[in-house]
Amino acid sequence: MKEKKNENLNWIKLDNASKIFPATYTNRDTKVFRISVELNDYVDKEILQASIDGAVEYFPIFNYVLRRGVFWYYFEHSNLKPKVEIESIPLCYPLYDKEKKNLLYRVSYFNKRINLEVFHALTDGAGVVWFMETIVHFYLTKKYKDDFSGKNLKLRHKAAISQMMDDSFAKYYSREKISQDENVKLNKAYQIKGTFTEENITKLIEGTMSTQKIINLSHKYNTTVTIFLTSLLIYSILEDMPYKSKKSPIVVSVPINLRQYFKSYTARNFFSTMNIKYYPTGEDSIEKIVDTVSNSFKSELTKEKLNAHLNKLISIEKNPLTRIVPLPIKDLILKFANRITDRGITYSFSNVGKIELPNEFDPYINKFSICVSARRPQIVMCSYKDRLVICFSSPYKETDIQRTFFTFLTENGIEVEITSNF
Amino acid sequence: MKYCEYCKVYIPDDRENCPLCENKLENIDDDHEQIFPRIPSIYKRNLALKIMSFISIALIVLSFTIYFLFPTDVNWPLLVLFGILSVWLDLFFLIRKKTHLPKKIIWQVFIITGLCILWDIYTGFIGWSIEFVFPIICILAMLVMYILALVLKLSINDYITYILIDILFGIIPVIFISLDLVDIIYPSIISVTISIISLAAIFIFEGKNIIYELNKRMHI
Repeated sequence: MKEKKNENLNWIKLDNASKIFPATYTNRDTKVFRISVELNDYVDKEILQASIDGAVEYFPIFNYVLRRGVFWYYFEHSNLKPKVEIESIPLCYPLYDKEKKNLLYRVSYFNKRINLEVFHALTDGAGVVWFMETIVHFYLTKKYKDDFSGKNLKLRHKAAISQMMDDSFAKYYSREKISQDENVKLNKAYQIKGTFTEENITKLIEGTMSTQKIINLSHKYNTTVTIFLTSLLIYSILEDMPYKSKKSPIVVSVPINLRQYFKSYTARNFFSTMNIKYYPTGEDSIEKIVDTVSNSFKSELTKEKLNAHLNKLISIEKNPLTRIVPLPIKDLILKFANRITDRGITYSFSNVGKIELPNEFDPYINKFSICVSARRPQIVMCSYKDRLVICFSSPYKETDIQRTFFTFLTENGIEVEITSNF
Repeated sequence: MKYCEYCKVYIPDDRENCPLCENKLENIDDDHEQIFPRIPSIYKRNLALKIMSFISIALIVLSFTIYFLFPTDVNWPLLVLFGILSVWLDLFFLIRKKTHLPKKIIWQVFIITGLCILWDIYTGFIGWSIEFVFPIICILAMLVMYILALVLKLSINDYITYILIDILFGIIPVIFISLDLVDIIYPSIISVTISIISLAAIFIFEGKNIIYELNKRMHI
């Protein structure tokens, strides 16, 4: 009976942003990202397994596997269940295999840490944070039943299940005419080079610090945390940049969570990106960089710009010519287009933002962190209460930019804790 | 907790060197714990594959050597070369298509019949490839798929596309019979009969599923 009811959801199309991931994943850049939570006590495998099983029921998108059709990829409903295992494979190891029908996420644990790894076609940072919050909720209320008895800790449902399955790209597409200035020319940006790590394993450097202290430091420069840290990143790249490259601009790609602009509650992908450009002048103080970056943020983050960008992307997808091209050729075209876009980007900086859970859970949680597989160096940051975590992932062994970045913070009186998987 | 004098950062891990500057770390207290597991190399080189490629090359070289020392009328080392190449081509597809069995079977049907027809043509077209191999492979593939589906409890959607392809392929021998290309017609007739009956069965009992699968795979 249940099968019958869901027949129309047995397979679903990929949303606009998802389409790029299965086409461009490689063994080095697996398009897998990880959210971890570090608890204050060792993880209990059985309880974790039960919590995942419970949480998945609220997030139907995690029950889908990715398949290849003749013209497009599609998600197909699957009855596979995730199996919790102790962490024993490299960080962000490939999840999607076109010959296998396997789940697009995995859950592992190690000592006090729970890891959730997700293939990006399924959902984005905001979606996975939401899923992780639910898992942690189930885990803590199960494990510390006695502590929470009497307290009425209910899972806060932010949306109906059908809202979470929304393809928000399709929903907010308005078929408006695209203004000309959206078609910006792609200049070649400065590219960071280095020695690749062995076996293509993503090198992660994770810095943990006080959220409040970072906010205070940003205020000292009269700006927000995201703008300040983006500027600090540009500053660190400049320090590391050979003199002869100083003609090309540094371009930092910043993903934008579109939910806040379009009133969406989807648990699937719904993001866009903007490029923050900085031309080295020879005398680049952090104040000067902050100025430039904050102007770019202001001009890029307008609803008109976001709308235009969204409509442009979707109009390509809806074009009848695009639609009848067979999938293998589409994959090739996307790979090629992706390579060209990549040339215009130096680094990525993604602030996933605040992770929120009821105050009662506070004593059991140390911190949350998010990191991604990387074809070029990237930063992902998130915060939980007063623990802000900045994750640098890189395909290279070198850590000079990371060192400049973190020592700038320590010199300004911020205590930083560093961990790494290498 | 450990501390790096140079970077002025704290390291909670039990490592020796600073991840940022590689300098030796200073112990603050003994409270450190492994944060990330040490993961052993998972990249395996396949020894079986190496041995097989070695044997193949050795066999080819040896057969040519023997041919030069003791010449015969037939250029048989060339046959050895093509034989080994055929086996490799087949194995390549067998290994590459990792787990989806029905798909793997269909590839085998195509490759084996294709190679056999080529061999047949090269050796003077006696007709054994379309007389026996073609129809028998089709029937075998169909049987194997039915049995696999039963044993592995595959859902009909997992193999319906592939069995449909095999059935359509199994009807082709009707052309061989009508064009009088085959002398012994029994394998061909059996293949065509089984295929047509299976086709009828699939359309009558699983018609809805076929349309559903087509919709899913062909959506534009």
